[in-house]
Amino acid sequence: MSERTRGRTGRTVGENEDRSVPVLVRKLRKEFDGLIAVDDLEMMISPGLLYGLIGPNGSGKTTAIKMFVGLLRPSGGEAYVLGEKVPGRENVQRVGYMPQETAVYPDLTIHENMELFAELYSVSREDFERREKLLLDVIDLKARKDSLVSQLSGGMKHRTSLACTLIHDPELLFLDEPTVGVDPELRVGFWEYFGNLKARGKTVVLTTHYMDEAVRCDVVGMMRAGRLIAEGAPKDLMARANASDLESAFMFFSRGDNA
Amino acid sequence: MNPRRILAIAMKNLRGLKHDRRTVGFLVFMPLLLITIFGYTFGGDVENLDVEIVSFDDAPEGTSIASAITSDLATRDTMSIVRVTSPSEATDGTVQAALDKVRDADLLALIVFEQGFTEDAYEALFALRNGTLVMPGSFRVYIDGTNPNIVSAMMNDLQTSIQKVLVSPSFAIVLPIVATPELVYGEGAEFIDFFAPGVMGLAAMMVTFMLSIISFVHERGQSTLDRLLASPATEGEIVSGYVLAFGLVGLIQSLVILITAILLFGIEIQGSAVLALSMIFVFGIGMQGLGFVLSALARNEFQAVQFMPIVLFPSILLSGVFWPLEAVPDVLRPASYFLPLTYAVEGLRSVMIRGWGVGDVWLQLVVLLVFAAVMMLLSTYGLKKRR
Ligand SMILES: Nc1ncnc2c1ncn2[C@@H]1O[C@H](COP(=O)(O)OP(=O)(O)O)[C@@H](O)[C@H]1O
Ligand SMILES: [Mg+2]
Repeated sequence: MSERTRGRTGRTVGENEDRSVPVLVRKLRKEFDGLIAVDDLEMMISPGLLYGLIGPNGSGKTTAIKMFVGLLRPSGGEAYVLGEKVPGRENVQRVGYMPQETAVYPDLTIHENMELFAELYSVSREDFERREKLLLDVIDLKARKDSLVSQLSGGMKHRTSLACTLIHDPELLFLDEPTVGVDPELRVGFWEYFGNLKARGKTVVLTTHYMDEAVRCDVVGMMRAGRLIAEGAPKDLMARANASDLESAFMFFSRGDNA
Repeated sequence: MNPRRILAIAMKNLRGLKHDRRTVGFLVFMPLLLITIFGYTFGGDVENLDVEIVSFDDAPEGTSIASAITSDLATRDTMSIVRVTSPSEATDGTVQAALDKVRDADLLALIVFEQGFTEDAYEALFALRNGTLVMPGSFRVYIDGTNPNIVSAMMNDLQTSIQKVLVSPSFAIVLPIVATPELVYGEGAEFIDFFAPGVMGLAAMMVTFMLSIISFVHERGQSTLDRLLASPATEGEIVSGYVLAFGLVGLIQSLVILITAILLFGIEIQGSAVLALSMIFVFGIGMQGLGFVLSALARNEFQAVQFMPIVLFPSILLSGVFWPLEAVPDVLRPASYFLPLTYAVEGLRSVMIRGWGVGDVWLQLVVLLVFAAVMMLLSTYGLKKRR
């Protein structure tokens, strides 16, 4: 328990720094030259959840995630990821991040891309070979393993990007629009895999603007203009809004936010 | 600093190049082409300049200094003597006709020996001995001065002939003063020896800067940089991985140039090739750092390419690659001392031509090391900075 009560610097640590809490956010803000992208965000994500951050384009989902993974510095408030205040370096090994843009190297093959990230995360040779096989199955690109990424379709590139994120088997995943551009059949497979990750105790935080697939999340956070306007299990949210789908529920909470 | 991660990033860059055959071809053939073209163009002497000679010198054949100079000129390749008009045929018309050819640029020069040229020369010589002065024997050279190099090559060649002819047994006029150059360094050095170190530095600069700025613009544009920065790889490791990979590419290029220069142009390296290549490696690290830093200011490849002439031209002109620093005008000279290529080229020349060792080129080494260190720090800091 000493780790919970005393930090590395010796000062007493509070509940914020509980290393088992994936995400804890307090009054988090981000401004870009006067434009408020994330506005007093408050949220707490519990371990082992499939958490969906949903909201229209420009609502601040990507900005929030970039702060969580340490790529942007908050303008105000604070966020703790696995007990460490962002931006921090202590937990990088435990976290996986899939950027919204298809972030893979076009001049490398799928295999080489995955190998690079395995190396950066110090994955052992055996683990790499095992996971690569598994992930190639998930993204359905086994046959194209040695193709240059530049020769793949947009959806295939995006799938490669997901595989690179998962190669070191992180316990906390931030996936920014992982299913965009992926065809419906494979998207089902993706969601199955997300469920699979959850069953193995991983926490998955993903963003999407497909409301229909957000129903599959345990908890959904609805974002609008940088704020969290509602949070809860999809069923509860729909019930509170007296709506039959998340889309209408979102409209309901948007109106409430305006008032 | 984790060597495994540095190596992973270095390998990623090298693999990326490996899959891009055209770029590999460019990286190997660009320096080859550079050294070959420049080597032949600048390295060769000025030769086969079309010249016409009209002589009014009426001294008898065998005693005429004019015809002796004419025949001596023909023994070398600098001038190709198109036509010689002897005193018996020479008229003002021949001179005019030849002069028109020079004006029309059909001829590079016209040499006219006046009547009594040999006689004047002897008279001047005797007059000098008696303490009186008369006009010396003179001849005129009408020359197309468009290219100063051609003018000086031709005048040099003429001077050579005059001196040779005068001291030859038939005239036996010994000049009172002779300057004898004793080469301290560069015995047998030709222009290519001076030139090869410059091209090596220049090529290393071009390739390391180009590769780093373009790759980093890509890293940013395709968000892979975000992914690297969110991984355990530190900013320092990312920069080091890059520097290792492209530094190696720069090194291989320099080696290609060096080997070509040795095989094709027979240059000789007086000092340590390892020292020379190490200097290029360090210099390449600095140039890459500059590329990383500037990549932050370029939003796309097109903007990145715009930086190339801005960075390259001052160095090409002011760093002593093609002509010595001493030829750079005083107002611009201080700028030369701010360009890292100046030190790279100076260091390389000292090692390759003068055969100097580490102790002699310490200044250049220190400047290059400081440049590399500052650029690495700046690029690491640039990556560390979070908005
Ligand atoms: N680097 C940036 N500079 C300026 N504005 C930005 C930047 N990144 C995002 N924004 C702005 O912040 C807002 C939120 O964007 P984003 O987080 O990408 O939304 P989402 O991911 O929900 O579509 C948008 O208005 C966007 O234009
Ligand atoms: Mg987004």
